[in-house]
Amino acid sequence: MEAPGPLLRSVDRAAFAVGLGERLRRAGVPVTFTALGAFTEALGLSPPTDVTALYWAARVTLVDDVAHLPAFDAVFGAVFRDAARAAAGQASGPRQDHVDDVLASLSSASAETSTGLPWHTLPHVVGTDDRSPADDVTRGLPELLPSALESLADTPFDELDAEQLAQIGAWLERAWLRWPTRPSRRRRVHPSGRVVALRETIAASRRTGWEALELSRTRGVLRPRPLTLLVDVSQSMQPYAGAYLHLMRALARTGRAETFAFSTSLTRLTPALRHRSATVAMQRATEQVVDRYGGTHLASSLAGLLASRHGNALRGGVLVVASDGWDSDDPAILVRTLARIRLRVHRVVWLNPRAAAPGFEPLVGSMAAALPFCDAFLPAHTARAMREAWEVLLDPSSRA
Amino acid sequence: MSRLTSAVDVRERFDTQDYLADEGTSTAVFLALQIGLPLLLEGEPGVGKTTAAKVLARVLDVPLIRLQCYEGLSAGEALYDWNYQRQLLAIRLAEATHERLSEAELFTEEFLIERPILACVRHRGPRPPVLLIDEIDRADDEFEALLLEFLGEASVTVPELGTFNAERKPVVVLTSNRSRDLHDALRRRCLYHWLEFPDAARAVAILRRTVPQANLALVESATRFVGHVRTLDVDKPPGIAEAINWVAALSVLGVTELGRSDVLDTLGVLAKTPDDRDAVLAAADAYGFG
Repeated sequence: MEAPGPLLRSVDRAAFAVGLGERLRRAGVPVTFTALGAFTEALGLSPPTDVTALYWAARVTLVDDVAHLPAFDAVFGAVFRDAARAAAGQASGPRQDHVDDVLASLSSASAETSTGLPWHTLPHVVGTDDRSPADDVTRGLPELLPSALESLADTPFDELDAEQLAQIGAWLERAWLRWPTRPSRRRRVHPSGRVVALRETIAASRRTGWEALELSRTRGVLRPRPLTLLVDVSQSMQPYAGAYLHLMRALARTGRAETFAFSTSLTRLTPALRHRSATVAMQRATEQVVDRYGGTHLASSLAGLLASRHGNALRGGVLVVASDGWDSDDPAILVRTLARIRLRVHRVVWLNPRAAAPGFEPLVGSMAAALPFCDAFLPAHTARAMREAWEVLLDPSSRA
Repeated sequence: MSRLTSAVDVRERFDTQDYLADEGTSTAVFLALQIGLPLLLEGEPGVGKTTAAKVLARVLDVPLIRLQCYEGLSAGEALYDWNYQRQLLAIRLAEATHERLSEAELFTEEFLIERPILACVRHRGPRPPVLLIDEIDRADDEFEALLLEFLGEASVTVPELGTFNAERKPVVVLTSNRSRDLHDALRRRCLYHWLEFPDAARAVAILRRTVPQANLALVESATRFVGHVRTLDVDKPPGIAEAINWVAALSVLGVTELGRSDVLDTLGVLAKTPDDRDAVLAAADAYGFG
């Protein structure tokens, strides 16, 4: 491989790398400058003789996450399309049919974006016409004031309009000053620690002629527990979906929580909801959840979560399920899945907005089946109730 | 056994050590060696990430230094530590002989305990060692920050002594199972390779190499069945490691032709949860052996 490869003879390698990097960046693959440098160097070290070699050199240097591989394959296929066809017979090279699939899915996704339906398109199930006008008078100007929130705090989510929900969302975003914690294996020097910290003690003894006058001690560090939130966005939960979407976004923005929406299938929303702008985040979430307001497959969605790689993130964490428990799956599957989840997580908290209704009893098959596995079962149908649910999560002794 | 000259050379040399690398893996290893960047390997459990690093050390004929990550792993266990007991003894000794002990005397290399990364940086030899930082996703994210200086500059700074620079840049392989997302700062400093499950033909070749006592018909039918199980909805899809163990178990039992009862006897090698047990059994029932 001493002679320059026939593929990139007399090509400015740096310009070539930057050009490809630019295209990748436009397709959403974050290509860093370091990566471009490595790619340029790789092209010089072993000039690629065929498209497959070029593909691997580019992929190993420019892509740093498996999540970006489909986009990378699409761009690479588009740029080197004719050549890629020649390499299609190889098992490990870029496959043209795969590239076409990706392109097709990209174009269909963007088509959905332009004509996509907003999150709320179906009429609300709960009738609030008789009460809304009176509420509007008493609420006054919708300003983001504590008093404004105070008046919203006890209003059930299904009676709030989009703007009021956004206010609650903004409040939720600042509401995570405390977080459920667990002891970490790390230790930190602290006056009330119990274990002598030799390093710090000897370092401090420098000042006293190497005589250790005061012992430094360490104590364990608390670290935040991972939190996983599953929100039911099926038909029966529709009136509450908007409010819970704000809750999901607020949690996703903390960086310590994974958020999923489910109806007939499970959709991970954390990356979509992490966007700084609430409007953009909601729009991206709307595009991703294709099965919203459909039927419910609670048990199989939970099983899907357990089997996915995020199932490992459950370990030692808190699982919050927001659902009314109306499930078209067999309750037996739910019991089996929850029993396994229970072995992994620290606490299971179930939020059921319908539980606030007077005379509510968890009679639905799946809800009754799930209850023995839950550490807490809370309504969380208003902002205040959600606040209280969070307090229960933080402090198990205040369990309702 | 010294320098690797091309990706093809990497593949051939790995082949002599019974590791059948695909083009992506060999390119990634070759570039990591030549450019001198750490290599981050990700992939499902059991696709051969750790083995790749071990084989690389054998191929280069250099020592392998392994750092297994776990939660709470800190500088004291990964980079370096001071031998505090010896320091205290030295202080008492100086006191007894009425000597004045200066700081420079107490924080010398004599009192320094090397941990894997410092050992790697201070390694003296004709060729740099291979450092395997295994399952980095198991360490907490504070630990990633500790690695950045080493991964970027191949150096370790001990505040009391100064900065140690590696004579030759060590070969660093990091593996991750993606149980959490690694920080961008770490990814940026590495080459990245996602290992796929090998296709059927390569899987057969790998099994024949690693379990030479099994006959070809058994290896082929076992590979087909493992490939089938991998397509099912199972919690832990069997990797290459499981396939190797399974074929080894089957051949220990003297199986020459795979049947349903053989799957039943060796089920524990292939399925590791009760749900997977049921799924694999159901698959074996529906699967036409013969």
